[in-house]
Amino acid sequence: MRLLQSELLRAASRRLVPMVVIGGLIGIVVGLGIAAVNADKPSPSAVARAQIGYEQDVARCEQSFTGPQVPGGFDSVTQYCEENQPPGIGGFLLRDLGAILQGIATFVILLGVILGASLGGADWTNNTMQTLLTWEPRRVRVFLVRALVIAVCVFVVTVLLQVVFAGVDALVASTRGTTAFLPTSFWRTVFLTIGRVSLVTTGLALVAYAVAMIGRSTVASLGALFGYLILFEGVIAGFRPTIQGSLLVRAAIVVITHRPILDPTRFGDGASDVLMGVSRAWTVLGVYIVLLSMLAVTIFRRRDVT
Amino acid sequence: MAMIEIEGLRKEYRRVRGGHTVAVDGLDLSVPEGGVFGFLGPNGAGKTTTIRCLLGLVRPSGGRLSLLGADVDRALPSVIGRVGSIVEAPAMFARFSGRRNLEILARIHGEGDAAIDASLERVGLRDRAKDPVKAYSLGMKQRLAIAATLLRDPSLLILDEPANGLDPAGIVEVRELLRSLGAEGRTIFVSSHILSEVQQTADHVAIVAKGKLIKAGPVGEVLATTGATGVIVKLADLEAGRRALSDANIPTTIHAGAIRADVPADQSERISRTLAQAGLYVSELRPDTVDLETVFLELTKDRGVGD
Repeated sequence: MRLLQSELLRAASRRLVPMVVIGGLIGIVVGLGIAAVNADKPSPSAVARAQIGYEQDVARCEQSFTGPQVPGGFDSVTQYCEENQPPGIGGFLLRDLGAILQGIATFVILLGVILGASLGGADWTNNTMQTLLTWEPRRVRVFLVRALVIAVCVFVVTVLLQVVFAGVDALVASTRGTTAFLPTSFWRTVFLTIGRVSLVTTGLALVAYAVAMIGRSTVASLGALFGYLILFEGVIAGFRPTIQGSLLVRAAIVVITHRPILDPTRFGDGASDVLMGVSRAWTVLGVYIVLLSMLAVTIFRRRDVT
Repeated sequence: MAMIEIEGLRKEYRRVRGGHTVAVDGLDLSVPEGGVFGFLGPNGAGKTTTIRCLLGLVRPSGGRLSLLGADVDRALPSVIGRVGSIVEAPAMFARFSGRRNLEILARIHGEGDAAIDASLERVGLRDRAKDPVKAYSLGMKQRLAIAATLLRDPSLLILDEPANGLDPAGIVEVRELLRSLGAEGRTIFVSSHILSEVQQTADHVAIVAKGKLIKAGPVGEVLATTGATGVIVKLADLEAGRRALSDANIPTTIHAGAIRADVPADQSERISRTLAQAGLYVSELRPDTVDLETVFLELTKDRGVGD
């Protein structure tokens, strides 16, 4: 508990944490500010006309489903139809918030990975790991407590930034766009998306932390991690599409979008087309985190600290 | 109870291109309770590696170590709260204030603001506690590191080259601090390659070279090892003085504008009387004290230290 307090104080004292929060807030205000300036608020009559057409499209969609089967990733046929029928109107729509959150997830993950790698690697760069271990020599405890602090820190920061984004987006939609056409479970879907993005970001931050502890450097860990994720996974997915079911980036995408990846080599042959479902994606993420953490702990315990 | 007990410590490092480097080679050492213990040796003698092994930072290749009676391999966490240490250069977060660095460490053992304030006061850093560490001089960083070791009110302090890189004023400050800490009944284990510095603070010393213990014991005992004591005599006619002393069976040499009589310092009166009887009057008569540097060079001359 005392070590946890110490680690929380250390993390809170790092300049990077407020920089990420402030930078994220500035990015949100500037990005949505530009969108607000460029948006044209639709007239009430145009919205009313589009609303009638939208409701007719949703009803038609629901009628097309005759059997009991609900499309994957949705709770009901109604939810599927409401979320997949585009309203016949342009402009800044609040109903797009879920898709926008998925779109900015890459930046959120990037911030989380940088936080995880930095909070894990800073002690090696500053040579303060030696000092810390002369106060708390139980290395497994040090590793786990720091992992907990990183997880809490990344989760809280990313949830905060996304909630602020959602709030500002709603404000812009109500003043410069429209808040009509919202599916019944709109806010639930938005908050589940925020939660999934933050959980995936937390998981990838722990992966970055583990790599930083193995490489004993923030920069080296970021280089190795991005090199693996972008180059190795990108290249290998291109050469062997069926391996996508075991890749970290694909797992993150599936968890965030809540949509499975389909096997491009088996479309229409009658067999199962799902290459990676949502539960498999969670499992893949978990396996990467656990295996890399175990490797990092083993190396941390055994290697000399000089 | 010995505060530090080392038996047959051996540490080998693997070289990148194959083979091993032996940093510590069968070291035996026992540090008694109380006072200042100097752990001496040239750079590369294995001092820092020994300290790292004691603190669990480095895994020994062989041997047994205990701190405050606890086996380092199995029970270090049970005694680490009573040990304050600095290994090599003080490592702190440069952008954090001195106080924040101490707060982070103090929380680990549940120490509060009072302990932090007392430590900062003790090393004279209270006025600069809110400044970032990067604005500190090397001496201030060293003092901050010592303040960190004092947070836990330790009974054993392990300090690796605490005077390294300090200016003369900083060296004096650290020396005074070590003396006062030792006088409080704490055991101070201080490693250094600056032999003259340790001689002024230590009660006991151990000399190591190439990973092996060469000599250990109370400072006076170690200084007497070479038997190289004498009396320095200065007078106008060195040659006449040397003849007079030789006639009185006092062995002498002339060196650096003075006569060195190879007899114990308590023979000074005899030297003075002999010269006066020969009509020679001394302008200076003092014992030629042997320092640790001399003893160290004497003890290590056959071991290729410094090669």
